[in-house]
Amino acid sequence: MSQPIDLETMRSVAGLAGFEWSDAELEAIRPLVDASLRMLAGLETLPLDEVEPTTQYRVL
Amino acid sequence: MIAAREVSPVEVVRAHLERITALDGSLRTFITLTADAALAAAAAAEAAVVAGRPLGPLHGVPLGLKDLYDTAGVRTTGGSRILAERVPAADATVVRRLREAGMIVLGKLNMVEFAYGPEGLNPHYGHPRNPWDATTHRMAGGSSSGSGAAVAAGLVPVALGSDTGGSIRIPCSLCGLTGIKPTYGRVSRAGVLPLSWSMDHVGPMTRSAADCALVLGAMAGYDPADPSTSVLPVPDYTAALTGDVRGLRVGLLRGFFLESATAEVRAAVEGAATALEKAGAVVDEVALPGVRHAGAGSLAVVATEALAYHAAWLRTRASDYDPDVRTRLMLGAFVTGVHYVRAQQARGLLRREVDEALARRDVLLAPATPITAPAIEARQATLGDGPADIRSALIRLTRPFNFSGHPACALPCGVTAGGLPIGMQIVGRPFDEATVLRAADAYQRLTDWHARRPVLA
Repeated sequence: MSQPIDLETMRSVAGLAGFEWSDAELEAIRPLVDASLRMLAGLETLPLDEVEPTTQYRVL
Repeated sequence: MIAAREVSPVEVVRAHLERITALDGSLRTFITLTADAALAAAAAAEAAVVAGRPLGPLHGVPLGLKDLYDTAGVRTTGGSRILAERVPAADATVVRRLREAGMIVLGKLNMVEFAYGPEGLNPHYGHPRNPWDATTHRMAGGSSSGSGAAVAAGLVPVALGSDTGGSIRIPCSLCGLTGIKPTYGRVSRAGVLPLSWSMDHVGPMTRSAADCALVLGAMAGYDPADPSTSVLPVPDYTAALTGDVRGLRVGLLRGFFLESATAEVRAAVEGAATALEKAGAVVDEVALPGVRHAGAGSLAVVATEALAYHAAWLRTRASDYDPDVRTRLMLGAFVTGVHYVRAQQARGLLRREVDEALARRDVLLAPATPITAPAIEARQATLGDGPADIRSALIRLTRPFNFSGHPACALPCGVTAGGLPIGMQIVGRPFDEATVLRAADAYQRLTDWHARRPVLA
């Protein structure tokens, strides 16, 4: 994600997840959400095309 | 000593309870003390000794439990207001196993609310105090902060912690203790409140690798109540402690790991590598370049799994959470399904990278934390590679092995000029805790860092 997340998008995403957070609550966490989304975008740079999602279970 | 009748379980338990009474007002390590039940169990343990009945390997040894392990008839709060009155009907599997081995539970230990944070703070039950500094209130670290401070202060000889991003190893590093995060699947999580099902590990926090070996042996093994546990047999960890590291191949983790550390931490870990080499280990250097994405991957996994567990309370009891924990939980709503799957793919890459590093080595060696215990009001730290917020600094070197699932043991390897403990971690192959503990124990036979104690008022 190149653009910072805006309040309207946050409101929509939270609503889809079933949370009714106030604009003040959302605004307070917006810097953290922005920073986290930038960090998560780094996962797209990894060579993952041939890698299946792993679960932690090692059934032995 | 108990089996030989040199000391009675009642004397041992009473001495620890007196120490708790004297010191815990300022250390704030216990949420619930079960003194009467502990004394009754000690009396029964003493009767067993006198009657000559078979004794478990940990007969009469006191135990503290991070307050997320279910205990039959005793409240298990998760360090929260939400579960302040929750009383489980049954013990967690590992609690039952340790009682069967003879351990006596003294009570439930303070922690970060629902284990969601590495600083060790808890506004509901008070912030546990790191006993290594009598003048400055310092973090005990991890979410298992009460466990770390209690063992370091000698209030209990053994505590259980849990480790989702480092919460066994971080308090061990900050409090001068030895603790092991076993391989994912080695120890049952049944009856332990979850933070993130696929990242949570449970294990012991003690004063030495030898104690860890004894306790882990009693905890580990398949449990039908936890489908992630392995059916692999549990070896005799104590028998593995030969003290011999001749020929042991040790990979010193350069790059991200040593670059992150402060100069004092880096020097101490390099000194430990040298000590092992002088004892006959074969030390080389290795890097794990993929580890730089472990933070993003862990974030995606923990944030979504934690929110899934807490969603109902977050809708109905939001004001009962510590505001910092509530903020972390809210973040999970903005992590997408694609992020989660990418993280699980990245987990596969990192696991393969660690496995490959361990294909030619027996263990890896790295700092456990890049810094020593910060003051509780600290928000920023200066690391070897630049500034970082305290939270990310504390977990950056431990969480890669929650993400990969490899076993890792934290142990002390020095003290700073200011007298604070420095911790390192030894990482091993999946289900090879025996070699990890052998290396840790051998190091502790060469040094006395683990034998040092804080000076308490």
